[in-house]
Amino acid sequence: MNSCIEVSNLTKSFHGRCVVNGLSFQVHSGEVFGLLGHNGAGKSTTIELLLGLQKADSGSATILGLNAGKHRKEVFERVGVQLQASNYQNAIRVDEICQEMAALYKKPEDYHKLLKEYSLEAFEKARVDKLSGGEKQRLSVALALLNQPEIVFFDELTTGLDATARRDVWKHLKDLKKKGTTIFLTTHYMEEAESLCDRICLIKAGKKLIEGTVKEVIEKSPYGNLEEAYLWFMGEEVVQ
Amino acid sequence: MKRFLSLYSIEQKLALRSCDMLIFGVFMPVGILVLISVIAGSKMAGEGYTYLEGSFASLIAVGVCAMAFMGIPLTIADYRDKKILKHFFATPCSPAVLLLADVLCCFVTAAASAIAVSIVSVVCLGYRMPGNVIAFIGAWLLTLVCMFSIGLMIASLCRTVKAANAVTSLVYFPMLFLSGATIPYELFPTGLQRLAAFLPLTQGIKLMKAVSLGLTPDSLWLIIVLLLGITVVCSVVSIKAFRWE
Repeated sequence: MNSCIEVSNLTKSFHGRCVVNGLSFQVHSGEVFGLLGHNGAGKSTTIELLLGLQKADSGSATILGLNAGKHRKEVFERVGVQLQASNYQNAIRVDEICQEMAALYKKPEDYHKLLKEYSLEAFEKARVDKLSGGEKQRLSVALALLNQPEIVFFDELTTGLDATARRDVWKHLKDLKKKGTTIFLTTHYMEEAESLCDRICLIKAGKKLIEGTVKEVIEKSPYGNLEEAYLWFMGEEVVQ
Repeated sequence: MKRFLSLYSIEQKLALRSCDMLIFGVFMPVGILVLISVIAGSKMAGEGYTYLEGSFASLIAVGVCAMAFMGIPLTIADYRDKKILKHFFATPCSPAVLLLADVLCCFVTAAASAIAVSIVSVVCLGYRMPGNVIAFIGAWLLTLVCMFSIGLMIASLCRTVKAANAVTSLVYFPMLFLSGATIPYELFPTGLQRLAAFLPLTQGIKLMKAVSLGLTPDSLWLIIVLLLGITVVCSVVSIKAFRWE
C-alpha cells in the first residue's frame, strides 16, 4: 500500500511540557485514518505539525512526500483542511466565504456543486453565523473540498454536534471515501472511529499507545468493543 | 492579482456591511463639517482664514483616524483571534494577501470619507481651497501612511481582541478630540495645545492644514521628517512584533 502521510519520531514541547512525544505512524492512500485520544492528548498539535503550522522540535512529518511547512503552495493545492472550531469573518455569507476560499486555489471546484452535495444550496445567501452547528460543519467540509484534494484533514469535526447531525456528517465522509479521498481525522467519539475509520492510532500525552485496524485494536484488549478497549489502553478502569 | 481582487471585493463588502466604519469614518466628519459651518462657518478662526477653511483639512483626517486606529487594528486582531489568519497557512495563499486586502479596504474607506467631506464643502458650503490641491493630497497621503503604520503596530502588539479594543479606544478618542480633527485646535487653551502637539495626528493635521491654507512655514519640513520617522519606526516594530496567531 502506498503511504501518503509519514510521521516519524515527531516531538514537540511547549514551555518544557512534551505535547507530542516521539510519535510515528503512516497513513495509506485512500483510507480513513483516525487519531484518537483524550482532550489535550496532542491530537491538534500533531495535525498542526503535519501541516507545517508549527515547527517540530525533532522528527519529521511529510504529506505526499513533502514537508508542508516548506512546500506550502504545492501541498495545499492538493490537501484540504478543516481546523478545530473554525470561525469565519463577521456577517460573511455562505456564498462569500466559498468565493473567498475558492479564489485561493488554481483549479477550484464549482462551489455551487459542493453546496448542493452537502445540502446547503438553500443557504447560499444566508449568513454563516446564522447556520446551525450541523450546517456549519457541513460547510467546513465543503470548504475543505474546494480544491478537490487528495487528502483532507478534519480536526474534531463532529464535536458539539447532536447525534443526528453527527451521523449526517459521517454519511458525507463515507461518500467522500468512496471517491478515493484519503481522510485524516481526530475525534474522541469511539463510535465515530468505529463507524468511519479503516485504521486508528491511539495516543496519550503525545505518545503512541497502539496503531492498527479497529478490529486489531479491539482484539489486543480483553474487551469486545472499541470504547472499552480504548479506556483499557488509556489505562483507565472500565465500568461494567 | 485576480486572487487579491476577489479577496478585496469580499472584504470590502463585509466592511460596508458593518455600519460602524461608515458612521465613524464617513458620516461623522460630514456631520461635524455641517455643524461647524452652521455655527461659525464664516467667522475668522485665525490669521486670515475662516473656521470652515481651518476645519476642512482636519475633518478630512477624521476618516484616516477612524481607519487607522479602529479599522486596521480591530480587523486584524479579530481575524487573528478567530484563527482566520492561521487557516490561510493551510492554503496555497499567504495570509499577508488577506491583510493587504483589508488595509486596502481601510484606505478606500478613508478616501471615500475625504471625498464626501470635499464634495459637501465645495458643493454645499462654497469652500475653495486657498492652497495647492495636489500638495494637499500629498500631505493627506503622508498622514494616512503614517497613521496606518501606527494602527498596524497596535495590531501587532495587542495579543487579544480585548487588548486591541482597549488600546484603540485609548488612542482613537484622544486623537479624535485633541488633535483638532473634530474640535478646532484654535479653541484649545495654550496648555492643551502644547499637550495635543505630542499626538502624531496633530502633526499630520498641522501639515494638511498649512498646505490647504497655502501657508509654508519652515516648520513644515520638520513635520514631514517627523511623520516619515514615525512611519519607519512603527512599520519596523509592527513587522518585527507581528504574530499570525
